[in-house]
Amino acid sequence: MRHAGENISAYLDGEMRADEVRRFLEHLAGCGRCSAEVTALQGVRSAVRSLPMIELPRGLVPEADSVPTPLRRNRGLIAAVAAAVVAAVIGIAALVTPPPESISLEDLNSRFGARVSLDPAFGPAKVVVPEIVESGR
Amino acid sequence: MRLLTAIAVAVLMMPATALASDLDELLADGRDANYSAEQIITCSTPEGAKDSVVRIRQNGGDLYVAASVPSDVEVTSGYGGWTLSLAGSVVASTALDGSGIEAEPRYEVDEGTPAAFLGRRVTLYEMRDGDLLRAHLMFDNEVGALMKAITYSDDGDVYCERRFIAFDPSPPPLSFVRRADAEVVIDEQEVDSSLPEELAGFHRLDEYAEDGLTFAYYSDGFFSFAVFETDVVVDMDQGARVAINDGEYRRAFSPGQVTFVWETRSGGMALIGDLPPDMHEEVLDELPAPGRVGWWGRLWRGLFG
Repeated sequence: MRHAGENISAYLDGEMRADEVRRFLEHLAGCGRCSAEVTALQGVRSAVRSLPMIELPRGLVPEADSVPTPLRRNRGLIAAVAAAVVAAVIGIAALVTPPPESISLEDLNSRFGARVSLDPAFGPAKVVVPEIVESGR
Repeated sequence: MRLLTAIAVAVLMMPATALASDLDELLADGRDANYSAEQIITCSTPEGAKDSVVRIRQNGGDLYVAASVPSDVEVTSGYGGWTLSLAGSVVASTALDGSGIEAEPRYEVDEGTPAAFLGRRVTLYEMRDGDLLRAHLMFDNEVGALMKAITYSDDGDVYCERRFIAFDPSPPPLSFVRRADAEVVIDEQEVDSSLPEELAGFHRLDEYAEDGLTFAYYSDGFFSFAVFETDVVVDMDQGARVAINDGEYRRAFSPGQVTFVWETRSGGMALIGDLPPDMHEEVLDELPAPGRVGWWGRLWRGLFG
């Protein structure tokens, strides 16, 4: 089964058409992995939205200060804040970036099994018991 | 006396290969056989023994397999169709329309030795690649069924033994999930693939393409495997991580089958087949090597595709 992958972001951002939403929800109903992924991403997004607004540090925006401070003193602070912002953006991006799309081994086994059945050697010598599926139940 | 002399000379002048049997003919006869049986599969793998007991019904080229150990697993397969059921529910099914091209066998079989097995008259053949014994194959003389197949690694150790423990040459009819009922239907296609035509003595017989997935089927006339290339990763939680040819693979054995999965810079690859362990390294060496996508690569791919 192909998992939803990046479609999850499109769904959460409301960028899907109605028919795409319907197909997506049908897939979600039968796919525990994608369903769990949607729940996790919704949680992250809610957490980010609920962060408190903070006041900018004095000196970050010189015009806002009643007493202008020398530019040389602000450079370090600006660099630190910029680095913090970049780190925060990367961190949040890493959290909300969906895991890579995947294909299941069962799907590949199914294709291999179908092709093997055309093999001239097909028969008891080619019997395979798909143990992987069994253990993954 | 003259007649006897002529016969003796004619026999002596017959080429040695004329006495040997054709592997493809034996396998074709086995494929057409109708019977039901119970089969034990015992494989000695680098990850320990992998065993199973299955019930088999073969009818008109279709094969139905139900596993007793583990239970509830059923596979119905034949002529491009494959359906897997767990506890009576269909888990996956594929119908594939391929050419079914046959590979030129690299193996030879001897003239066979008469024997008895399960109260039936059988013939036991040695399958060799030059001097290397690769398999013992035992066919029922009357029905043609492959009663026993023992495959060997190149060091002479048994890799897998499959043998019937019960045999009935009068099977009941077999119902089978045909193409129209399959979840996935694939037709053979011309594929612009990077996979080699020859791979460690195996011939690429055909290729298939779907959205984001291509695969090719290789055979040497007896052993076979498929190589899958995807633009996504292949999910595989089972098996062991192994280092082969300086690359990291995930490897899993099930009774009669080995699976390798690895990540490449453009997605994922997998190999599924029945190769003895000594062939793994040589085959993997000629396929695209593993190449991990780092954290930044994943982030970039996730953000920008």
